[in-house]
Amino acid sequence: MNQTSKRPPISLRAHHLTVGHPGAPLPVLVDQAITLAPGRITALVGPNGSGKSTLLKALARQLKPSAGQILLDGRHIATLSARSLARSLGILFQDPGTPAALSVENLVRHGRHPHRGFFDDPTDEDDAAVERALARTGADVLRHQFLNTLSGGQRQLAWLAMALAQEPQVLLLDEPTTFLDLRHQLELMQVISELRDEAAITIAMVLHDVNQAARYADEIVALRDGKVVVSGPPAAVITPEHLRTVFEIEADVITAPDGHPLCVPRAVTRPSSTPAAPGGAGVAPHGGAHEP
Amino acid sequence: MSSKPSRRLAIALCLTVVGIAAAVQTLAGAYEMTWRQALGACFDRAVWGHPGTLLRIVLGEDMANALGAGPANALDTGTLIVWNIRMPRLIVAALVGINLAVSGTIFQAVTRNDLASPYTLGVGAGSGLAIWLVLVIHPGLGPYLPVLAGLGGAVAFLVVYAIAWQHGTSPVRLVLAGVIVAAVAGSLQTALFFLARDLNVVRDAAAWLAGSLSGVGWPQVRIGLPWTILVLTLAFAGSRHLDLISLGDAQARALGVPVERTRFALSALAILAASTSISIAGHVSFVGLIVPHIVRNTVGAQHRGLLLGCLLAGPALLVSADVVARLALSPIQLPVGVITGLLGGIYFLYLMRRRRDLGR
Repeated sequence: MNQTSKRPPISLRAHHLTVGHPGAPLPVLVDQAITLAPGRITALVGPNGSGKSTLLKALARQLKPSAGQILLDGRHIATLSARSLARSLGILFQDPGTPAALSVENLVRHGRHPHRGFFDDPTDEDDAAVERALARTGADVLRHQFLNTLSGGQRQLAWLAMALAQEPQVLLLDEPTTFLDLRHQLELMQVISELRDEAAITIAMVLHDVNQAARYADEIVALRDGKVVVSGPPAAVITPEHLRTVFEIEADVITAPDGHPLCVPRAVTRPSSTPAAPGGAGVAPHGGAHEP
Repeated sequence: MSSKPSRRLAIALCLTVVGIAAAVQTLAGAYEMTWRQALGACFDRAVWGHPGTLLRIVLGEDMANALGAGPANALDTGTLIVWNIRMPRLIVAALVGINLAVSGTIFQAVTRNDLASPYTLGVGAGSGLAIWLVLVIHPGLGPYLPVLAGLGGAVAFLVVYAIAWQHGTSPVRLVLAGVIVAAVAGSLQTALFFLARDLNVVRDAAAWLAGSLSGVGWPQVRIGLPWTILVLTLAFAGSRHLDLISLGDAQARALGVPVERTRFALSALAILAASTSISIAGHVSFVGLIVPHIVRNTVGAQHRGLLLGCLLAGPALLVSADVVARLALSPIQLPVGVITGLLGGIYFLYLMRRRRDLGR
């Protein structure tokens, strides 16, 4: 197991998942299912409060589901030890923070924690994994800089490198581009595409920008009010009908020069419309109130 | 990185400060000695060349008898003063400095708050209350005061944890719970103050609460040293976990750290360090707050380096503060906590003036 790329990609699935925040009276998601296909990029989209970040955190076992199972390559993640889960699954948070006086290289080294025993010194394999992670993200030029001296985009790359040093087979990203300028958004998305293509990592990311989702994802899962409304390849999900039911916007969908669907919003939909039922396949073509 | 030479300079500085302070502590005081006398006392053949005498001084009569040590030599006055009073006081000061600095380092990591101190999570409140209760309500327990003060701190810590726990804890909840317990225990202490009939009791309590090294000797070394070794061993073993938990709960969890268990274990370790220090010297303020600060500015945020720095800077601060406490108003001895409090205040004033990002 020298190179991440030599391992075959694995899937992450959830069935009958009910999950909410600890202490909150009602769960955010009830009885939902999702599949992250092996070696592909899945984007989770939806309006604020739709439960997409909650779903991602449940998949990373950051939140404990009250019902349902999550299977990582067929194994229940609830039964895995914290360390063995961290060897298979990495996560990049929206705002991972800026620890003071910590260099990028030392941060990335923390990614090796799940591979190291309590008293073990880093092995050659640990060093090699850190170097690969730094090289893959382009963070190697920043290695001696302190995190609190970096720009938001550079910092996000450093944290991504830390997650990659875990050598995960599944990588989850929670709104990774929200606080970045256009150039850094593009840079991060290119790194993520390379991870799928070259390292065969299964990736899921929560995105606000549906056009970014359409461009970089193989599958899009659209959520609203804690339910998966529709999922499928970008061309099937990014349609005027689905944009209306999921985001309550009126939009044209055109084809971008690179062949991906491109959403051009026109106006907000009047609030008379009702959220679609789960599955959402049979939404009326002309919008308006639609009872299943 | 340019930090390597400054790091070496800091190490040299710490060692020099400890060395000078140790020399002054050994030479000066009510019984004045010359260099020659002091050195002669430190390396007195009557002690070093005679295991029975050495064991009886360091381990105490009971333990020495248990080990079958021979009878003690008769010693010069100078040797007696150095060996029975000045040397153990130096060692105790170093132990207190180490424990407070390590405890503060751990608490600052666990609460992710650079302004946390060993007394943040209720330890000071609990031990203070225990001290007042013993002195005012049950003076018969006086001989057990060090142990009870440490226990009081540990109990208060558990209460803080219980208050903070709600589907797990968080740094902010822990600090808030610490404030709650400190407020209640502080009020009770003030109430007990008015129940004290004897002014000496109040003075005793004040010395404990201010943190004092007057009158400490080998018994305090024997209490403090084993715990200090245990604390240091565990702290260095857990230094990687300190690094990880400083990244935040979610990040640490994502890296395979069982966050709640780790946080509790590390906090308990910090409590052990703080209680050790309290039980031998009372509440010495600000050391646990400023030493980790100063060391972090020199060596960075990696905890292995931080702990090593505490091992040098903690004793440097406390030993030199104790020189001032002991000799400044001689023959009156001030509690060393008065001096560390003054130094701490001045240091933070300097930080606030120099670093604009402090407290933002």
